[in-house]
Amino acid sequence: MAQTDRQAHIRNFSIIAHIDHGKSTLADRLLEATQTVSKRDMEEQILDNMDLEKERGITIKARAVRLLYNAPDGEQYTLNLIDTPGHVDFNYEVSRSLNACEGALLVVDATQGIEAQTLANAYLAVDSDLEILPVINKIDLPSADIDGTRKEIEDVIGIPAMDCPAVSAKVGLNIPDVLEAVVRDIPAPEGDENAPLKALIFDSYYDSYLGVVVYVRLVDGKVRSGDRIRLMSNGKEFDVVDVGVMDAFGLSKCEELRAGEVGYITASIKSVGETRVGDTVTLADTPTKEPLPGFKAVQPMVYAGIYPADGSRYGDLRDALEKLQLNDAALVFEPETSIALGFGYRCGFLGLLHMEIIEERLEREFNLDLITTAPSVIYEITKRDGELVRIDNPTNYPDPAEIDKAAEPIVRASIITPTDYVGGLMDLCQDRRGEFLDMKYLDTKRVELHYRLPLNEIIYDFFDALKSRSRGYASLDYELEGYVDSKLVKLDFLLNGEQVDALSFIVHEEKAYGRARKIAERLKENIPRQLFEVPIQAAIGSKIIARETVKAMRKDVLAKCYGGDITRKKKLLEKQKEGKKKMRQLGSVQVSPEAFMAVLKLEDDD
Amino acid sequence: MIKVGKKAKLGLYLHIPFCVQKCCYCDFHSAKADKGARTAYMRALCHHLKAAAPDAKGMTVDTVYFGGGTPTLLDATDFKAIFDTVKGHFALEEDAEITAECNPVTNADGLMEGLHATGVNRLSIGLQSANDAELRLLGRPHGFAEFLATYEAARRGGFDNVSVDLMFGIPDQTVESFGKTLDTVIGLSPEHISAYGLRIEEGTPFYGMRKSLALPDEDAESAMAELAAERLRKAGYEHYEISNYAKAGRRSRHNMRYWLGDDYLGFGPAAHSYFRGTRFETAPDTAAYIDTVERGDFSALRQNAVRIEGKEQMDEYVMLRMRLFDGIELADFERRFGTTFEAQYGSVEALQRGGFLTKDGDRLAFTEQGMRVSNAILCDWLDFGH
Repeated sequence: MAQTDRQAHIRNFSIIAHIDHGKSTLADRLLEATQTVSKRDMEEQILDNMDLEKERGITIKARAVRLLYNAPDGEQYTLNLIDTPGHVDFNYEVSRSLNACEGALLVVDATQGIEAQTLANAYLAVDSDLEILPVINKIDLPSADIDGTRKEIEDVIGIPAMDCPAVSAKVGLNIPDVLEAVVRDIPAPEGDENAPLKALIFDSYYDSYLGVVVYVRLVDGKVRSGDRIRLMSNGKEFDVVDVGVMDAFGLSKCEELRAGEVGYITASIKSVGETRVGDTVTLADTPTKEPLPGFKAVQPMVYAGIYPADGSRYGDLRDALEKLQLNDAALVFEPETSIALGFGYRCGFLGLLHMEIIEERLEREFNLDLITTAPSVIYEITKRDGELVRIDNPTNYPDPAEIDKAAEPIVRASIITPTDYVGGLMDLCQDRRGEFLDMKYLDTKRVELHYRLPLNEIIYDFFDALKSRSRGYASLDYELEGYVDSKLVKLDFLLNGEQVDALSFIVHEEKAYGRARKIAERLKENIPRQLFEVPIQAAIGSKIIARETVKAMRKDVLAKCYGGDITRKKKLLEKQKEGKKKMRQLGSVQVSPEAFMAVLKLEDDD
Repeated sequence: MIKVGKKAKLGLYLHIPFCVQKCCYCDFHSAKADKGARTAYMRALCHHLKAAAPDAKGMTVDTVYFGGGTPTLLDATDFKAIFDTVKGHFALEEDAEITAECNPVTNADGLMEGLHATGVNRLSIGLQSANDAELRLLGRPHGFAEFLATYEAARRGGFDNVSVDLMFGIPDQTVESFGKTLDTVIGLSPEHISAYGLRIEEGTPFYGMRKSLALPDEDAESAMAELAAERLRKAGYEHYEISNYAKAGRRSRHNMRYWLGDDYLGFGPAAHSYFRGTRFETAPDTAAYIDTVERGDFSALRQNAVRIEGKEQMDEYVMLRMRLFDGIELADFERRFGTTFEAQYGSVEALQRGGFLTKDGDRLAFTEQGMRVSNAILCDWLDFGH
């Protein structure tokens, strides 16, 4: 395909890396080096503009920015840097971002070498036919092993790295090498600007003034203000208000976007739910025949019930979830009622990190105290009458007598770890019902393990256990492989003989006894003594598999009433009553939200 | 029916805010006394009594209670001055119960004779424990020997109505050591025994060290309360209030006022009053108290005055009456509040079945078991109108 002179001066690229290998810092340096942002205005890591991202040092949502680079050859190039989310939960979004590019900078920490996400991201880039350009980072650190890292990249990923840039993004060393390599090694975009419009949505966000701002990469054709566009996955049409490009400080209008370019479109779109990442934008009057390949609507993998600790804030929780959803099409929720917890929402997430991010944003940005039930995956249950039901909430689990077979989601997990921790991690995977696939030495010191693991074992504290057993060195990546038949049971808990719906969960038969005992013990520890003894029972169907007892309260009285000071006694009673008001009624038993969370917390005690 | 000729009764509480030293658990208002401070305080107290007397016109005083602090740090002259003021300005009944709290001291004979001679007829001695190690832990300025000497001096001095204060739930205390204390005191046969569970209050030395204190757990503390109830009952004491035990006819008449909602006026700093339907208190500051009295600003001594009425009054009634094993007469409740107990607080059947409440005819009361967890139950019932 013919390349125009304009296209020859464009480079579209991403930066991919394992978490903490310095992706965002390198992005900052590129912005500075091209004077897209002056050093004085430089806000640290400007691409990550959510607070949470800054604090955690991770990028949650992709962002894009245009850099104008005046190369030593006297030419000016437009470099479109497309940032990608850096976590396994957002793999699909990463792959769409990569599809908007011709090349990727693969940042590798010279002190750490290749990690699980380095590989996962590199493979994604290979799948998208990108030119991969390694960049070795953190060479200012005393423990940096530049040559070793070059060799490892060549050995493990199989791409040349002997001459790749070696930089320190932190201190700004050798940054011009990176810019030169981008221009030299990453192909310029192609595409026919006279063909019908074909543009890939790689991100979108909601702005209260502009509506949804859609980030696109134009593959073919042109788009300008006033055009009527169509989103090919859902057929919805909108009139374009503005098109433009993204500079470091925001949106900058332009007349037209053309094939090969990266920019934004606004068209008074109300919800990011309509502008799904991976969808193709075309013109309503002269549509392209085929959409771009690879679109899929992302499906939540993990579900949990979220309830306000203070039941009266149910409406606030709904408003908050609606606001978050404006910007997060992957978040789904629907009302749910629990006898124990009252009104709340069943929420679906891409993964545990996504869930944590949503919880944290609800608590921080909307000042809500939450009670979250144990996370669940989606189980596929085939009933005896042949009906297939997908269960994301233990409450809806069918009666065992009706179940023909049950299946649970399985992931293929890749763990990279120093050899010292292999034994412990293999035990962990074994314990989590993992099926060993293979083990590969990356070098003499590091190993890549592959396991097939049930997803419901991963959402239960797996990542923390992995980190603690490897002193933080092991890294994890996984992808959904499918469903396998499994012996699942629903575990219920009864207090005083009454089932507490919010405590039920679905678990593999083998794990049921251990989990039942542990949760029963935690209930015993956390339920305050009541007037009457409280029997705790864990049950599968009608079979009791664990029991504990909360002894009856024996003493709760204020004896002394000095010198007729009645007011003080009243105040103490009132204070005690206040505490009681915050309690949740679990059957006939009162439990504080804190105690409830302590029971449901994911961390293993051992 | 109007009770002709029967005058309204009043109790007086006189706070003596002086102590030799502060105990580790005490958040009560007191300070060390010197002669000058005492004299100034005595003058203010008497002045305050005189000023308040017209309010009590038409009432007779049938209980007087000297609390502290340590009232026995006053000398016989001080007591006499107070008595003269009370007798001179209030209608003190002939057989009024006049109690003084006192701490064990050495050479108590003179003190006891003096007290008795001035008219004090009931003595409440703070022993807390018969175990010297426990007393040291509590920061008490005496051992058991001093208590015994004081007790015997009181008897010699003519006191035939003596109460002994005990405490359980002391750090390092065991059920066994508390049992020994109980037996020792029962052996002395005082007319009245109070047994309080220790509470760690904010602002006390114990509060600062609460994390390092080896406090008995809920089960052990409850076992101590149960032990007290059982041994004292066997020894012929009636368990009439949460923490109070008395031989027949020897209940503390003054303290009964608190639970029955009768009138009492408090004098001195940090003293509480319930008078003609209003609760009020004086600030816990001796210097400010003296100053306020000297300025003659008596209305400033009635702080945080709240008229108790409506739901708050009903809830107070329940809270206070239910401290007594006499409990509530349901007909009396209906007469006072125009509604039935169960209409207000719900069915008591489950609590009866659980053994927490008894309903004997018209009388609703906690059982021993119910009394020990009465806070949890009262919490469900009461909101004081808020």
